[in-house]
Amino acid sequence: MKRIEALGVLAGLTERHPVVVTCAATSRELASVRDRDNHLYLLDAMGLVGSVATGLALSVDPSAPKVVGIEGDGSLLMNPNVLPTGGYLAPSNLLLVLLDNGVYGSTGALPTYSARIDLERLAAAAGWTTRRADTPDGLRAAFGELLTVTGPAFLYARIEEGNAQGIEKLLIDPVTITGRFTRWLREVHAVSGADA
Amino acid sequence: MTYAQAVADGIWAAGTARVGYIPSVTVAPIVTALIASDGGADGSSPRVTPLSREEEAIGVLGAVAFTGRLGAVVMQDNGFGNALTALTTFTLSYHLPLLVFANTRGGLGEYNSMIHSISQPMPAVLRAVGLPVIELDRRSGPEDWHDTVREAGTHAVMTYRPVVVLGSFWNTDGKVA
Repeated sequence: MKRIEALGVLAGLTERHPVVVTCAATSRELASVRDRDNHLYLLDAMGLVGSVATGLALSVDPSAPKVVGIEGDGSLLMNPNVLPTGGYLAPSNLLLVLLDNGVYGSTGALPTYSARIDLERLAAAAGWTTRRADTPDGLRAAFGELLTVTGPAFLYARIEEGNAQGIEKLLIDPVTITGRFTRWLREVHAVSGADA
Repeated sequence: MTYAQAVADGIWAAGTARVGYIPSVTVAPIVTALIASDGGADGSSPRVTPLSREEEAIGVLGAVAFTGRLGAVVMQDNGFGNALTALTTFTLSYHLPLLVFANTRGGLGEYNSMIHSISQPMPAVLRAVGLPVIELDRRSGPEDWHDTVREAGTHAVMTYRPVVVLGSFWNTDGKVA
């Protein structure tokens, strides 16, 4: 499964979910597949997807669709605290999808630890409910199963190395992302400072 | 009112919805006061929780702003080295209000022989990356600390960016290290 195929599946499954997406090729490819206001692209801040998704999951109405984080193996390994912190704080509505291609795909394809370190087991040890997939159908099925889980859920998706070709860079002012994502949260899920 | 209680009350008075903390002996009384006032015990409460590193604290609490509310981080200043990328490329770049209260190390009353290496230049480092920094010390009382922390939170909301309050506890009723 190529990354862009996995992202195509996820775009089709997350129309009503807040989606936090890791930087570089992953954000670009998702935006090329489907660019929506519910996508919070982290254009830099490598490693922060799980933290931001956890903070969002703790802050939105628990009855809203799960907050979905889309993370890469290199990025997760830059801030692996995401796993014990998510397990400890245990938001009921958090689903982290890890797209593992075994390399730092946007920075020369140097290898990550993931060939020797099982990131799914790491998540499970930290208290996340996990599933594994390596095909688009498997990804769709595992995502559906994890939507029924109460508590932090972790979908390990093995993908092929390599980036989709001909994808435009995502040259957006981050503040415009904040504006549209915040407005989407407010309008679709009635999130408001008034209930603080 | 103790200085710690003043900081805790000031954080809530700013309208803070959620607090994350990274432990230090100096901020422990602040954390205890926050948790007690939020109905918790043993290091956490519904709205006050521990985090293991400053970088993730910026991500977790910065994200609160997307819901139209304010998050706050309580930490020690030597942890800003762990948090600069998150503070700049996330909260500053995405215009997210965030209140950060940090105790200072490395100054008067310090026992540690190397912590000043990171703590002493930190106000200048934070200002160099564009963060507003407000400094408190023995020269004002708990009431001023309370009002300053509260107003710093308001300032963060009004200016759509993180605001840092640095508190030196030397010669106050608190513990430096």
